[in-house]
Amino acid sequence: MLQISRKNFYLESPVLFAILLISSVLFFFSCKTNSGNSMAENNIDTVLTGTVNAELTFAPNVPKPLTYTSPKKVIVQLETIEKVMPISDSSEYTFWTFGGHVPGDFIRVRQGDLVDFTLKNAPESKMTHSIDLHAVIGPGGGADATSTAPGQSTHFQFRALHPGLYVYHCATGPVPLHIANGMYGLILVEPQGGLPKVDREYYLMQGDFYTKGKYDAPGLQDFDETKALAENPDYVLFNGRVRSTTGPHALQAKVGETVRLYVGNGGPNLISSFHPIGQLFTKVYMEGGTEINTDVQTTLIPSGGATIVEMKMQVPEVINLVDHSIFRAFNKGAIAQIKVTGPENPSIFQKLK
Amino acid sequence: MKYFLSILIATVFFCAANAQKKAVLSEKKMVTVSSGNYKPFFVTKNNRPIYVAAFKMDESAVTNAEFLQFVKANPQWRRSKVNRIFADTNYLRHWKSDVEIGESNKKIYNSPVVNVSWFAAEAYCKWKNKKLPTIAQWELAANGAPKNFKYKSLTDFILDWYTKPNPRILPNVKSTYQNQYGLYDMNGLIWEWTFNFNSFIASRDSRDKSEADFKNFCAGGAINVVDKTDYATYLRFGYRASLKGNYCISSLGFRCVKDLK
Repeated sequence: MLQISRKNFYLESPVLFAILLISSVLFFFSCKTNSGNSMAENNIDTVLTGTVNAELTFAPNVPKPLTYTSPKKVIVQLETIEKVMPISDSSEYTFWTFGGHVPGDFIRVRQGDLVDFTLKNAPESKMTHSIDLHAVIGPGGGADATSTAPGQSTHFQFRALHPGLYVYHCATGPVPLHIANGMYGLILVEPQGGLPKVDREYYLMQGDFYTKGKYDAPGLQDFDETKALAENPDYVLFNGRVRSTTGPHALQAKVGETVRLYVGNGGPNLISSFHPIGQLFTKVYMEGGTEINTDVQTTLIPSGGATIVEMKMQVPEVINLVDHSIFRAFNKGAIAQIKVTGPENPSIFQKLK
Repeated sequence: MKYFLSILIATVFFCAANAQKKAVLSEKKMVTVSSGNYKPFFVTKNNRPIYVAAFKMDESAVTNAEFLQFVKANPQWRRSKVNRIFADTNYLRHWKSDVEIGESNKKIYNSPVVNVSWFAAEAYCKWKNKKLPTIAQWELAANGAPKNFKYKSLTDFILDWYTKPNPRILPNVKSTYQNQYGLYDMNGLIWEWTFNFNSFIASRDSRDKSEADFKNFCAGGAINVVDKTDYATYLRFGYRASLKGNYCISSLGFRCVKDLK
């Protein structure tokens, strides 16, 4: 018995060994596939094929669609600037900005790009600033690497893994104050195939502001912490100023064109019920992601969130883009306009006597 | 011999010039800050109110004219000589030259010296047989009640100053308010270096990213803060957290302290 069992043992042991070997090899490979998966899951190229400088624009302009079709190293440099600017016709406010404008520079990159990011803080700044880009996967969205004292600069890299429209903002404490002073903007990560071509693209960003004086009170207005904590703004604005995008500054379009808007909401507090008066959104990239909804009247834009909307221009008109929490549009400034010119189209709309 | 003579002449000349300058500037007045407890802004397992013994503090920030004396007496701290490890390229950039503030800068002779690094500030205080204040000392001193104050509250005043851009010409020292200890401009004129400006977050190894340290993480920064509505203090700590010892910034100066004998 003993001998047999010993014989069996010797017989079996190579088998056992083989099993062990095979399973460990399998295990090894499965590990390998797993670790490779982080990229494979995203199903994107990450091999870099050159370096480009990102085109940066201020609202309402958007950088041109990207023409390259493989990942690049993209150089982006933003500067934080503190600056007194009009917030309404009679009031001024000390804005803290990316690039000297509210909202800050629009950044456009492609999925798979390696973004080489430098944040400069102007020497004249009084405050320390930083940036948290919601497109970044990494500590603080970049805030960890970019706490930047006046006159200094910081540098980090991130991979644009996911397509979509993302908010960026300053993340230096107290963050609500930096955001309330206008420190936000948008970064678009185009999907690898790009977005469908449209006739016009524009950049809008909503934000709420809290001042010691009432709406349009004359002079330089200080930030009001009490109103900010109560989430009771004096101003709800598109692009940082009352009438920034109306009348002579209205966005332009022609009948027959498709217009795409990249719309962010910097907050710091309010959710936007974004609505086009006299139009509707044929397409909404919900929350700026990849899911598309069609035929939408009003879409929500969370604070610290964004959306991409498209409209087909059918008749000549002035489209009022509003936050449909309508007191904000009527009393606090939340209106932007698109002026549509071109021939009437009575089959779609006509006024009757 | 010729060499020796020229050194002798230079030394005599230098001393004479120095003495002359010293005669113009009287010794800076120091005032006593009485002992007290400083309650740290960030709550951690280990920090409880810190007892701060009484100390003497410069009544106002060190001025350009005062710092010039130091630079003249310590050539290694001249703009062209200073080691970049101890002061970055902005060091005293607003001066005309190594040892001249400049005629066109007359208005700021008596304004706080800025564009000075922590190392330079520390060296200045040492030269005066003084020290840089610790965060606890500075915060305790700055918490002193303002005299004849026309603002709603100190926090309100500070916040208003913080949220305004820097003036093109920095006002003279003693141009804002005085507090109960007799200190001038603890807020409202410049930022000031403290001895341990970056110590409050580095509880262990500063390379350790696992600490949810305040400077970085957005709302996360509020978790361990005593008074979440104290935005003024928040900004001060956020500012300090971003500094490095060799930074020279156009709105950052200092004043010195001394132990009570």
